[in-house]
Amino acid sequence: MTDTSAARTLEEAVPLGLIPTVFQPRLEALSSAKSWMGWAGYQSAVVIENMEFEYFAIRNQSTLFDVSPMHKYRIQGPDAEAMLNRMMTRDVRKIRPGRVGYTLWCDEEGMVIDDGTLFRFGPDDFRLCCQERMLGWVLDAAWGFDVQVTDESDTISGLSLQGPTSFSILKDAGLDAAAALKPFDLAEIEPGLWISRTGFTGDLGYELWMKNADGLALWDRLWDAARDWGLKAIGFEALNLARIEAGFIAAQVDFQPIHSTLRLGRGRTPLELGFERLVDFEKDHFNGRRALLQQRQKGLRTHLVKIELGGFKPSNGALLYHRKTKEVGHVTSGAWSPTTKRNIALAELKAPYGGQVQDDLWAEIYVHEEGQWDRRLVPVTVQTSPFFSHPRARATPPRPF
Amino acid sequence: MGQHDTFDAIIAGSGHNGLTTACYLARAGLRVLVVEKNDWIGGAAVSRSLHDGWTYSNCSYVCSLLRREIIRDLELPRFGLQVIPYEGGATFTREGDYFAYYSDHDALNRELARQNPRDVDAYERFSQAVMRQCRFIRPFLLRTAPDPTSLKPRDLSELLYLVKKANDLGARELGETQRFWTMSIADFLDEHFESDLVKAHIAGGGIIGTGLGVYSPGTAYVLLHHYMGDVDGTIGAWGFARGGMGSITQALAASFESSGGTIVTGSGIDQFLTKGGKVTGVALENGDVYHASVVASNMDVRRTFINHTAESDLPSEFVTAVKRFKTRGSSGKINVSLDRFPTFPAAPDGARFLSGDMHCSTSLQELEKAYDDWKVGRWSQEPYFDMLIPTQIDPTMAPPGKHMMTVFVQYAPYDLEVDGVRSPDNWNETQRQAFATCVFDKMEQACPGIRDHILHAEVRSPYELEQEVGLTEGNIFQGELTFDQLLFNRPVPGYAQYRTPIDGMYLVGSSTHPGGGVMGAPGANAAREILRDVGKGQAMPVYTD
Amino acid sequence: MSNTTQNFDAVIIGGGHNGLTAATTLARKGHSVCVLERSSVLGGMMSVGGAEAPSFTSRLAHLLYNLNPKVERELGLRLNARNLTTVSLAPNGEHVEIDGGKARMMDGALHPKAVAFATLQTRLQRFATLLSRLSLRTPPKLSGSWTDPETFGELMGLAGIGLGLKGMGKVEMREFLRALLTNVHDLMVDDLDDGPLAGAMAADAVRGSFSGPKAPGTLFSLLYRLGNGANLRAPVGGMASAVAAFEDAAARAGCVIKRQSAVRSVLVQGDRVHGVELDDGTVIHAKAVLSSIGPQATINLAGIQHFDVEIARRAKNLRAKGTAGKLNLLLKARPEFSGLPAPLHQARLLIAPSSDYVEHAFNPVKYGSFSEAPTLEILLPNAHTPETPQTLSAVVGYMPHDPPGGWTDALRTKAERQIMAVLEAYAPGIGDRVQHSELLTPTDIQTETGAAGGHWHHGEMGIDQILNVRPINGMAHYQCGVEGLYLCGASAHPGGDINGAPGRNSALQALKDGAL
Repeated sequence: MTDTSAARTLEEAVPLGLIPTVFQPRLEALSSAKSWMGWAGYQSAVVIENMEFEYFAIRNQSTLFDVSPMHKYRIQGPDAEAMLNRMMTRDVRKIRPGRVGYTLWCDEEGMVIDDGTLFRFGPDDFRLCCQERMLGWVLDAAWGFDVQVTDESDTISGLSLQGPTSFSILKDAGLDAAAALKPFDLAEIEPGLWISRTGFTGDLGYELWMKNADGLALWDRLWDAARDWGLKAIGFEALNLARIEAGFIAAQVDFQPIHSTLRLGRGRTPLELGFERLVDFEKDHFNGRRALLQQRQKGLRTHLVKIELGGFKPSNGALLYHRKTKEVGHVTSGAWSPTTKRNIALAELKAPYGGQVQDDLWAEIYVHEEGQWDRRLVPVTVQTSPFFSHPRARATPPRPF
Repeated sequence: MGQHDTFDAIIAGSGHNGLTTACYLARAGLRVLVVEKNDWIGGAAVSRSLHDGWTYSNCSYVCSLLRREIIRDLELPRFGLQVIPYEGGATFTREGDYFAYYSDHDALNRELARQNPRDVDAYERFSQAVMRQCRFIRPFLLRTAPDPTSLKPRDLSELLYLVKKANDLGARELGETQRFWTMSIADFLDEHFESDLVKAHIAGGGIIGTGLGVYSPGTAYVLLHHYMGDVDGTIGAWGFARGGMGSITQALAASFESSGGTIVTGSGIDQFLTKGGKVTGVALENGDVYHASVVASNMDVRRTFINHTAESDLPSEFVTAVKRFKTRGSSGKINVSLDRFPTFPAAPDGARFLSGDMHCSTSLQELEKAYDDWKVGRWSQEPYFDMLIPTQIDPTMAPPGKHMMTVFVQYAPYDLEVDGVRSPDNWNETQRQAFATCVFDKMEQACPGIRDHILHAEVRSPYELEQEVGLTEGNIFQGELTFDQLLFNRPVPGYAQYRTPIDGMYLVGSSTHPGGGVMGAPGANAAREILRDVGKGQAMPVYTD
Repeated sequence: MSNTTQNFDAVIIGGGHNGLTAATTLARKGHSVCVLERSSVLGGMMSVGGAEAPSFTSRLAHLLYNLNPKVERELGLRLNARNLTTVSLAPNGEHVEIDGGKARMMDGALHPKAVAFATLQTRLQRFATLLSRLSLRTPPKLSGSWTDPETFGELMGLAGIGLGLKGMGKVEMREFLRALLTNVHDLMVDDLDDGPLAGAMAADAVRGSFSGPKAPGTLFSLLYRLGNGANLRAPVGGMASAVAAFEDAAARAGCVIKRQSAVRSVLVQGDRVHGVELDDGTVIHAKAVLSSIGPQATINLAGIQHFDVEIARRAKNLRAKGTAGKLNLLLKARPEFSGLPAPLHQARLLIAPSSDYVEHAFNPVKYGSFSEAPTLEILLPNAHTPETPQTLSAVVGYMPHDPPGGWTDALRTKAERQIMAVLEAYAPGIGDRVQHSELLTPTDIQTETGAAGGHWHHGEMGIDQILNVRPINGMAHYQCGVEGLYLCGASAHPGGDINGAPGRNSALQALKDGAL
């Protein structure tokens, strides 16, 4: 357990507002949009130059996104696997050392606390990366287990290098050992530099993790190597579009992390979010298991599904109807997909809609055009596979572009 | 023989609740008279100008709980009310450090982490639990509490509403709610936080105005009374009324008078007049008599019935219950005018958190010990105080460059013990000064040398509060907020719906549900009941959650 | 059957009265039951200690006053006990004898507030009896909708209590709803003035609790104590004989009782209990395991990985800071309390001369130190005979569970000296008669009985820790997460005292669940 009893010393007053990540000087220099937002207290780019070109760089060349503000918790010790297996809905034992697993974890009522990626460095050594602050929960979950929990959120920096030419950049930067990485593989390519073949875009891509002190040097190294590969630094907006295309869900958007909800009944279970495959009822007890078993028996309240809509207007926030009359849900993330040329969205529907009942669904989209609001009802079809999926994302060794 | 006149309704006392009732009645078309014993109006929501150029909020001092429904219904902004949120807050330690409550979320997280890395998440979990309780309780504030012994359809439906709300919570949340409502603030905080300083900073809200210690069951609920308000929909936010708390009652009075109401000041109630079990009016101390078939008392239940009502008019069990109602005073107040802004050596230059509530109690044990002193009739040797300098935000209260500081002190007894004798009469100038010295000594933790900048200070014990405002024993909530004195038990079981044993006579003050704080809800709820009884129930707005 | 594996329908962890009650209840329904007791003697809080302990016949608890009569009947307990009155001692010798609702002075005259006391006592007894209806059922879960049959049944059960309330009439019902959550100090002092009479009620309400009589909710703990008629009974032959009666009932029902059998772990597989493993490696298979040692210790035995994080967190936060200690004296001669007639030396003697005194005694324990003027509940078991040696048995309030630096010998000596000083003031010369003394602190009680915090009730009986949140939210229905695992001790509903209902109810819940 982390020692929290150490005596405090008098310090300077804490900084107010947003603080820079290690990469902020480089981003600041590249940014013409000067569009920033807060992410876990850090300054983070919304757009660097132009959202559209940043998006196309993800799908056509390569992009760098600063993921340093992500919360990162190191969990080490003889009981690390057992402790995480009790915390996570999936079987952590099946994530081998050198692998990364996407995972969810629940409260006692089976409601999702957050989702994230679990990096397994060794038999007794893990790192959990997630959107929500989780130290208190991880420590509570670790109580009674022989593990050491360290909050690495402010000491480890991360860069997400995504796009068809991303491997070529790594290669030219002298990191060609990454060639062997299959999707969700993880390796220490150079001392202190861990690279995982992971990302939030559904495309070929890598995430690079290092100590803060090594951050800028790595940035410059990648940037130097990228001269022929069209690398762009990107902001949140372009990434968000790519992740909707890939069908990935986002906390606070597509579901409400239960620990931050005030209203009753706003939490969702992994089953309701469509992640039954990540809930392993066969393994031993895990947090929320008994509640989830009960829900599986009683039936789900909602379904989070991928949908395709008619028309061309993005559907964010649109209400969904059955037979054009009965309100049955709403869009949680909607976008026009520039790569697939489809009007796509993630949507939450009240059961049985989106589940057994998938026909005759409609979305009500409000469009604001030059001072005039227009209401459109467009047909909705439920999709089962990601909107964007490309073999290059899976090829190992990866292709040059 | 003095003045005689007849009205539709008379309100005894011009506190914020009395005026709230008065406004609603006047707006419904009743001819309403408000009588006030002091030469000024406002009860405990007053701004007094005791020295030229200075405005004292010399009783209540911050605003959050005043229901937004009431502000809107009575058009208080039109009559001059402006509520400005303030930010920040801090607790200063003996060692020269502090915990600062930043309104900046990221800075607050860093500050919590500076105290203890676990407490960042703990604060989120704590806030979630408290806000869930606020969401649960807020709809009940503007509803009349049901009488659980009654079979009347209205009581049954209100009871059912309560049961349904509780059932909606689900088993786990219901359990957490039961615990929250009945546990101590200290136990609640111990379950969440590691840092003593953070716990102490928050715990004050559980004891302000209360004759209980931080480890007494029920104080977590008292905390709710400091979180369930809002400023413009931001739940839990606090603000200053521009011009001091008196601007609330001034706006209410202006609203009232614009609806044709009359206010008479300078003479208090001598006796509530009755005939055949019905109220007929009031006789004032100056001999004036006013008649009305509806009389509402803004005074607390003990003052109303023990001091100003003939005991023969009341059932004896009722009198017993009124005497049993606990109104222990536990708070003092020191209002200080300063020739400059005090120096807080621990705080960074220009720290905005100084515009919030500042404290010097650094652990739950220290707070609990402060309560032990009070239990035996002494003021706390290490008092908890809630100290604010509103002139940082409100320029109207002091001459430019000078500052007004309001210091609310917990605990100070009403019946002070001196040489083995407990009596309010022991509060003389010497004792008051000794009490103030004790507070200023403790204040050295935050702003050493503050004494050198004091121009004048007003020291008020519960006894002064009783004498001036009329709050029995100086209890700021007109009755303890313990669970035996809440909801259908407030103030007296069977008489918790603003009606009294005397036909036509009502209670509208904080002695009634939902209790104290400058909330206005008792006054509004009482108005609803009065209007129902006079056949004008439809004149009262219906509130939805 | 091998020497190291055995099979039972149910295993009971802990041979205290609740464990034995649970065992007997199950065995009487035809199930094979094994009771495992860590120490060499049965009894838990009623225990008289092992061979190494001095021979006091009531070493910890010394009275039966809240034993559930239904449990007594169902178990067929053969108890031999005598009824006691109470004398609340006053420093000025104006002691008050309390016998049910009667309050008399030593000269037989009525106490000046005798009428008010009688009224109050009758009312409290009525409230307590109504409340005690809740104690023989599992607390409502209220987890389903209105129409869910289980929830509906629970609501009807509550409605039954509601009807009982209505039956009292409006005035009494209102008083009930007010008093239920009030503090015992105000209720007593309002009607009785503060003195030995109010002090006795206050002390009874808070004995063993981490609260003073001014704390809201303390009247409830008094009502709990009065729940089974409030007859004070001292078992003839001390608590040892009561333990024997429980053991006899269990044996007659066919329970196997194993002493010196400490459980190392509860065996769990596939979210179901399979039995237990003992310290010596013996495995005992069972379909159900009922544990009387409280949630935290039970979770640890089964392995924390089988429980949700929230449950573990709540178990960790269970409020169980014991405050009651026990002083046992072996005396050369019968002690003589000033102003107390000889026959009344056989009564229960209280040193709690006012409610303020009790509150004052509570103050130091909040900061981990010991009351200079503690409250005492004293029995003189051999006072009816001049034979020696005589014994004195006293429950002491308040003693801290975790004084800073722990219970050192020096602190122990100091505490004992303070208690003796109080005794000396009421019974001059008692100090010179002491042959041997034994002071048990809450820490000792925890070590001996396993009760969390050495708490008299295995967990504070505050309103925030009773009914559907006893011992913790999410574990209030005896079921302890893993299928087949149950809580059967005083930490479970309805709670502490030598009561038996937790044991009985948990056994019935296990049967209802089809766990056996």
